[in-house]
Amino acid sequence: MSDRSGSSDSLDDGTSEGIDGFGDRAPSDTDGPSRTGRLDSEVRQGSPYTESQVIMPTVKVVAPFAFTYGLFVTFHGGGSPGGGFQGGAIMAAVVFMIAFAFGIEATREWLANTVVVGLAVGGTLVFAGIGIVTMTQGGAFLQYELLPVPLSRINRVTYGMEAVEILGIASIVSGVLMGLFFLLARGFSSEGGASGTGDSTARTDGGDDR
Amino acid sequence: MSFVETTVVAGYTVSDFLLAAAAGFVVLAVGMLYRAVKGPTMQDRVLAVNVLGTNTVVILAMLGAALSEPTFLDIALIYALLNFLMAVAISKFTVERGGVL
Amino acid sequence: MSGVDLVAAGSVPQPVIAQVTAIEASLFVFVVLTAIVTALARDVLAAVIVFGAYSLGMAALYTFYRAPDVAMTEAAISAGVTTILLLLTLAKTTRIDHEVAFESVNLPAAGAAGLLFVGLLLTTAEIPAVGDPDAPAWSNVDVTQWYIAETYAETGVENAVMAVLAAFRGFDTFGEAVVVFAAGIAVLVVLRREVFA
Repeated sequence: MSDRSGSSDSLDDGTSEGIDGFGDRAPSDTDGPSRTGRLDSEVRQGSPYTESQVIMPTVKVVAPFAFTYGLFVTFHGGGSPGGGFQGGAIMAAVVFMIAFAFGIEATREWLANTVVVGLAVGGTLVFAGIGIVTMTQGGAFLQYELLPVPLSRINRVTYGMEAVEILGIASIVSGVLMGLFFLLARGFSSEGGASGTGDSTARTDGGDDR
Repeated sequence: MSFVETTVVAGYTVSDFLLAAAAGFVVLAVGMLYRAVKGPTMQDRVLAVNVLGTNTVVILAMLGAALSEPTFLDIALIYALLNFLMAVAISKFTVERGGVL
Repeated sequence: MSGVDLVAAGSVPQPVIAQVTAIEASLFVFVVLTAIVTALARDVLAAVIVFGAYSLGMAALYTFYRAPDVAMTEAAISAGVTTILLLLTLAKTTRIDHEVAFESVNLPAAGAAGLLFVGLLLTTAEIPAVGDPDAPAWSNVDVTQWYIAETYAETGVENAVMAVLAAFRGFDTFGEAVVVFAAGIAVLVVLRREVFA
């Protein structure tokens, strides 16, 4: 798990730099007019609301508890109501909370794309992997008692289920929900719009592009 | 049988009292719904949804006690933690219609 | 509203249905009211807020009927995720401020929905009463009773719901997990993005 994120860090740097550049442009644009004294209402009201003195400290206090509770629900699904789906949703909700308090762009930079994709893809692979390992032992899909681990039969079943819940379902749900959040926060891609902005200058070039 | 089912006051068990109180809180929630629907401003709605969430925490806790199911408190705890998220999200959304998110 | 209907259905000789407790009746009223307002509210933000309130009522109702796993899912998904995603979508789209509070009702659509409602209501007489020990879903020796009796010995976990999800019906759950994963991919495709974050 750790070596996966480590190896892909270099891969992610390129994408996050592009996002950095995108995110940094907006504040620098707003700083410019404020220095020259031309404050339209959007710039003036922008900073006190985005960095609320009430919301940010409260989220700092609440978020660790909520995240711990999400972990509890995930890990304790066998003994009380809950499980991977609910716990994953709570942990994703903590990320939403942080994003609303500290800004979505800042959270997007803090939480690299590698983490989100790794959670979603890794969870699916772990779930499928555990199922397929038991099939290679000659059993059915997810026949936990055939897992090749040195435990008693009942413990193999219990810990196999917990592994599927924690590493599989909770990872998938939290990763996909975080991804949906960031995707919806960014909206429809203006990639077509990139050629659209350069439309007037590069109309002759853009013609064959379409 | 826990004490909420065995202790009898005036012909009713403690469980009955707790359920009746929970029903009373649901009636209060219906009343608060008027404020959430009518508005007139968005701040009214934010407050209404916050009150509704806190109300639900109380209702769930009372249900857990009345039905002698302590694990129901887990659900109340989720609402206690995430209701804050809903209030923050809606209140920040009402500023410039999500322009400051 | 629905509580009244259930009480009225008590005139059919099914004595157990008539025993709608106060908390059930008030929760029914709350849930039905919020559902109607969500459908009719003209202001989309008000509809989102009232939809959050609807899920609060549903979670309490699930809890009262001793389905804590479902109630917990409703709580985590509705309070934590659905409202947030709907708000983000609203922030990306435009909302027109309306003078009128409620949508005008399309009478043919309302009639069709009403007919469906009445049709479904007629079937409720055949549904076993809440807590009926002879209900097929409960008294089935090969399924429900077997799970209740054997789950701990077979899997070592106390929560039979999780045991069914992760072990006895593990392949179905794998399908659901892949559906969740595919939903993330689908949004990537629809929004023409290549990275999540």
